[in-house]
Amino acid sequence: MCSFGISNMANYITTSIAGVLPSATVKGEKANKRLAWIGKHISSPQNRLILGASALMSQPFIDLNNKRVDEDTRKISAARTVAKIIAGTATGFLVRYGCIKAIDYCSLLPSQITKSMKNPRLRMLFTPDSAIAGVLKDLGQYKKALGSFIALGVMMITNFMIDAPLTRFLTNKFADKYGLKQNPNKKRETPETILFPLVAAVKTVKAEKENWKGAKNA
Amino acid sequence: MHKPKIFKDVINHIAKVYGNHPGKMLVHTGVIGWALSSLAQVCAIIINDKIPKEQKMFLVPQEIADAGVNIISFYLITQTVKGVALKMVNMGKLLPKSVRNFLAENNVKNVGSKTFDVLKDGNLTDDVATKFNDFRNGVDVVATTIGSIISCNLVTPVVRNGIAANRQKELMARQQKRFNTPADIKNPEYKPSYMMRPSIVDFKATAYNNMLNSKGSMTI
Repeated sequence: MCSFGISNMANYITTSIAGVLPSATVKGEKANKRLAWIGKHISSPQNRLILGASALMSQPFIDLNNKRVDEDTRKISAARTVAKIIAGTATGFLVRYGCIKAIDYCSLLPSQITKSMKNPRLRMLFTPDSAIAGVLKDLGQYKKALGSFIALGVMMITNFMIDAPLTRFLTNKFADKYGLKQNPNKKRETPETILFPLVAAVKTVKAEKENWKGAKNA
Repeated sequence: MHKPKIFKDVINHIAKVYGNHPGKMLVHTGVIGWALSSLAQVCAIIINDKIPKEQKMFLVPQEIADAGVNIISFYLITQTVKGVALKMVNMGKLLPKSVRNFLAENNVKNVGSKTFDVLKDGNLTDDVATKFNDFRNGVDVVATTIGSIISCNLVTPVVRNGIAANRQKELMARQQKRFNTPADIKNPEYKPSYMMRPSIVDFKATAYNNMLNSKGSMTI
């Protein structure tokens, strides 16, 4: 009921705005060809790359101009933002691209299987029944959807095992390079902090809480 | 290859729900992805011993706010930009020259009105319909990308920095208040807090407390 109301409201708003805007025609043949090419070839991996590149051009500068915090916090925040964009864009692109390619490889229709193909059953592993029955018209959209969902599952692991440690490593490198003050009480990294960052983070927060409670009681 | 039933059910469900609605898939995977990525990044900040505590007080709320604001601004800005652009194409306000000429030549009425739908009411031939669909898909991608750049790369960083700066101030004020509270020297249960967080107030109070409790070196 609620989602129905929200989607109706969104539809009303978009229709109202579109109704007010003036009409336009894309006249150039080249411009129309480019738009068609973009629609066919730009998917979520490429979208991730475009967003990453534009993020690098805007976000660090917004962080560096954040006058509400001190200079060191500003710099470490910008360093972490750059590190996060680089790590997130690289792994995000590779995981999405790899998953969509893998799904593409394993979602052929029976009519597309030839005798010379190796592992014909594997090539139909992800083909849905609706596509075999001819109900699903656009198999391409299904492949992108399933690829993105599998990428999401893969990213549950890579976020913790690659993204976060890489962001941390790059943040520290940038902080070193720009001569930022670093915590003098820093501990050595343990295998736990590298392999199980979630467990290590929970332990750190628990220790901080104990510390906090101890200080409060004292 | 034999497919287990649950596996078949999952892929058939994805085909049914998202096969004809790629936008819905992008929104759902995007929101879950942001939440998971934010969780991983928060862990990375907490266990990064090189970052001083005061800066962690900014970076942790910044990361949490980043995910929250990203999701909200995505719905408010990206979806609106995308929706308006697609609506303009569907109602015939934004069209390629070939489709505009076709509609004019065939004397199609009400092009550009709120209730007009080019595909339903335009009586397009297969060739023109293909050109229209290619154009619409291109506009969809361009609008989504522009909307994402505005929401994720411009609005979100400004808003999240504001939220994180406020949170950092709150946390630092709370910490300062605790440091500057004198020790309860009359309480016999009092334990020196400098064991946890040394501050000059605690040192003075503890020395005074020990002096009061001490029987002195001359005690027989």
